[in-house]
Amino acid sequence: MSVAAGGGESKIDKTKLMMYGLGGGVLGIYLTHVLNTITGTGYFSFLAGLGVIAAVVMGSDAVRRVCSYGIGTGVPSIGLMAMGMGLVAAWFGLSIGGVAGPIIGIAIAMGFGYFVGLLANKIIKMNIPVMEEVLMTLGGAGAIVLIGLSVAVSGEISYPLILSSVVDTGYIAVIFIAGSLAILHPFNANLGPDETQDRTLVHTISTGALAMFAAGLASLATIGTAGMLTVIIGAVIWIKSFMKYFELVKRDSSGVVGTGLLPEGGL
Amino acid sequence: MIAFDANMVLYIIEIVIGGLLVGVGVHFVPVGGAPAAMAQATGVGTGTVQLAAGSGLTGLLSAGLMMSVTDNIFLIVISGAVGAMIMMDATMIVGNWVYIYGVGVPPCSAKVDYDPITKEPQPPYISPGTVGHGIPTVSFVSGTIGGLLGGAGGSLIYYALMSINENPGLSGFFAIGIFVVNAVIASYNIQGTIEGFHDPKFKRVPRAVQACLVASLIIGIFAVLITGGA
Repeated sequence: MSVAAGGGESKIDKTKLMMYGLGGGVLGIYLTHVLNTITGTGYFSFLAGLGVIAAVVMGSDAVRRVCSYGIGTGVPSIGLMAMGMGLVAAWFGLSIGGVAGPIIGIAIAMGFGYFVGLLANKIIKMNIPVMEEVLMTLGGAGAIVLIGLSVAVSGEISYPLILSSVVDTGYIAVIFIAGSLAILHPFNANLGPDETQDRTLVHTISTGALAMFAAGLASLATIGTAGMLTVIIGAVIWIKSFMKYFELVKRDSSGVVGTGLLPEGGL
Repeated sequence: MIAFDANMVLYIIEIVIGGLLVGVGVHFVPVGGAPAAMAQATGVGTGTVQLAAGSGLTGLLSAGLMMSVTDNIFLIVISGAVGAMIMMDATMIVGNWVYIYGVGVPPCSAKVDYDPITKEPQPPYISPGTVGHGIPTVSFVSGTIGGLLGGAGGSLIYYALMSINENPGLSGFFAIGIFVVNAVIASYNIQGTIEGFHDPKFKRVPRAVQACLVASLIIGIFAVLITGGA
């Protein structure tokens, strides 16, 4: 990652991020499934969490690209819409596709996204040139995040298992909100004329790690102590990336000084 | 596996109507965004999606509660609508307390000279440099109608999905998913802020109706095919 401070320019190409996001996400989900079924344990569930972090970075970059046009409704709206589209598509994929479910789900979510982007541009007349492409990316990211975190909780790609361990237990609420915050929060927190891509994306890694951490805690109740691995790896990534993020904040700000507490009677 | 029957067409229609109600309901909710949070614009000081989600989720809760005792569609939809209206009204009244007693501004609208309901003149109460503040009567009434439509729409989607997969967790979250997609499309249509049905932006409703119709139809087709059982 480059160290020079820029003004909202993209230093990392969007196609590259999409490739890593989609590839990393799908790879993580399938590695978890394959390794867990071969070994008969749940120790590899953390790989799905790592895939989620890759997908979250892809989604967050898409958010920052579309929101620079000024969508007028606030950044959270587009992140929630991504999860809304991703949720229906992901569960459709899982319910009909069996092991191929994640790929079907991601493809349908991207189709939804492209379609909703088309509606926004053609009927609502938002006229944002990147809308279709960005919503397509976001739909895919939403589906990967939901499937990835669900697989991290359930341990393998199996619709009945995911239903009983993620939906019926209510962990889906945690996954839905932690996942959407991971996508929408970084740009929401970093936006402004001095926003830089590397700072936003490093922040995204930390929020993605928190989502992984939350899924890990949930998985303690479903796959047992093997879930501890997801918790620990999530926490380590969070600490590392947050330290890196703080470094970048200090790089981009004009000055960081400790002011101390207010003096006695200062209020 | 996919099993298609005639009832599914009915469920898809219910989901589409629900999505449309949500999309239109968003246009009634007085939402002012960040300027309203600083009492510089009329409406509740948050985003459309947060407001719609807040009232919609409460509507789902009350619809779900009703669904646990009966499967009469009218009771369920009305229960959801009332739940969402109560949530919406609670948000607006507490917001108004903050604006009136905390910030110290009278609720007034900058989009009309006279409040269409109370006939009170508005311009004398507008602080210079702002475009209204607080939630005046007309916006409050409008917001209540918005809660009604949103809650009814959300619970109709929930009812349709529950009839298919009989899994409350799954149906609830799908309803939320379809709900947010429609709410966000509608809020793009009003560019994030609106005062209520008296706002000139309200005339854009037909565009949101078209967009929400198509979007709910596509998502609805996929949603009804998802099975809830093992």
